[in-house]
Amino acid sequence: MDNNNNNNNQQPPPTSVYPPGSAVTTVIPPPPSGSASIVTGGGATYHHLLQQQQQQLQMFWTYQRQEIEQVNDFKNHQLPLARIKKIMKADEDVRMISAEAPILFAKACELFILELTIRSWLHAEENKRRTLQKNDIAAAITRTDIFDFLVDIVPREEIKEEEDAASALGGGGMVAPAASGVPYYYPPMGQPAVPGGMMIGRPAMDPSGVYAQPPSQAWQSVWQNSAGGGDDVSYGSGGSSGHGNLDSQG
Amino acid sequence: MERGGFHGYRKLSVNNTTPSPPGLAANFLMAEGSMRPPEFNQPNKTSNGGEEECTVREQDRFMPIANVIRIMRRILPAHAKISDDSKETIQECVSEYISFITGEANERCQREQRKTITAEDVLWAMSKLGFDDYIEPLTLYLHRYRELEGERGVSCSAGSVSMTNGLVVKRPNGTMTEYGAYGPVPGIHMAQYHYRHQNGFVFSGNEPNSKMSGSSSGASGARVEVFPTQQHKY
Repeated sequence: MDNNNNNNNQQPPPTSVYPPGSAVTTVIPPPPSGSASIVTGGGATYHHLLQQQQQQLQMFWTYQRQEIEQVNDFKNHQLPLARIKKIMKADEDVRMISAEAPILFAKACELFILELTIRSWLHAEENKRRTLQKNDIAAAITRTDIFDFLVDIVPREEIKEEEDAASALGGGGMVAPAASGVPYYYPPMGQPAVPGGMMIGRPAMDPSGVYAQPPSQAWQSVWQNSAGGGDDVSYGSGGSSGHGNLDSQG
Repeated sequence: MERGGFHGYRKLSVNNTTPSPPGLAANFLMAEGSMRPPEFNQPNKTSNGGEEECTVREQDRFMPIANVIRIMRRILPAHAKISDDSKETIQECVSEYISFITGEANERCQREQRKTITAEDVLWAMSKLGFDDYIEPLTLYLHRYRELEGERGVSCSAGSVSMTNGLVVKRPNGTMTEYGAYGPVPGIHMAQYHYRHQNGFVFSGNEPNSKMSGSSSGASGARVEVFPTQQHKY
């Protein structure tokens, strides 16, 4: 009960202070996430969005390091070790696995799920949706170099769906400019796009403040977690109870 | 033991539509040892559980969807919704990730004529495959694991062994909570509380039970003396 109340009463804290949209904005890729950097000829608004996204990802990694420093229980993992080991053993060439490897993988998979989820959510926000869909994951995979090994998991239809979404937006928004950035990752499936043609709609979107507000909401859970141990426990549990999507509740 | 473990998956069977009896033979076979085996990729393209030859195989190939969703929600805003197909897609991506990294780590082992994949091999593989951001937090995690587990003495170390032999020990530590969440333990409806402790030092009421069971499991694990041999049994 308290958990639900806490969840319902949570206020979105100021998650980041970002500079106002400016034509002089320059994206400087930080070293830790070099593989995620994009150098594109897009407009100032697109640069601004990219900068925000990179800042969020940087905050994500910083937060992960802080969280790990407080870990004190290695017996209760977010993911079952036996299952991890089975998946590792699916490769018949794999013979023996040390005790630490599945434990490390349990944490690695957590980070992987979190990174993939946040990158997917950023795409959903660009399309002004509140439901994470498969094509958001497809977009995150095509946009991120290190996720190339996942291209077979999301079929081409999902990529087409993204393109359709871009068309549905009438050339506005950030989907098309993002597509123009794809060639820098050399994905197997190319997405030809005309950046110039898509630039027209961008200035109209930014003044409305659509992109200024949604990204900050994406970090409610993170800042709630970092607020304190007690709050974090309550929030996490409340969140679980409050969402009927959890299959374990069904 | 096996039945108890599989009983815990019953709720997950609903997601796959087709429940079926468990069996060790459910482990799916793969003819190739490449980093991205075609046989592994092909089933992933079929998101419908009902189309799989064996539901057990499907369940064993993926992380439990409830755990995956819980992790996803940690990073999403409260108002965010997750479609069912994206839940399944993330499940498939995680398995692919494990196989991808494991394949690279195993290749290194073979080049150096070693038989056991170590945590260092996993970290090396991640670095080689571009997951540079993961190295620092995971190295920190591994170091903390070693210092904390080491300080807790022999029983904890035995617990570690127990986790390795997930199918040999009746109640492996690594899946204890999982078992408690879905097993025949009555009255536990909010098992998700178990996992919140990693974000702080406040544990739920279920935690003591889990720890006690963990200790018992650790004690039984202490009897395992020949570490490599146990690996073979898995």
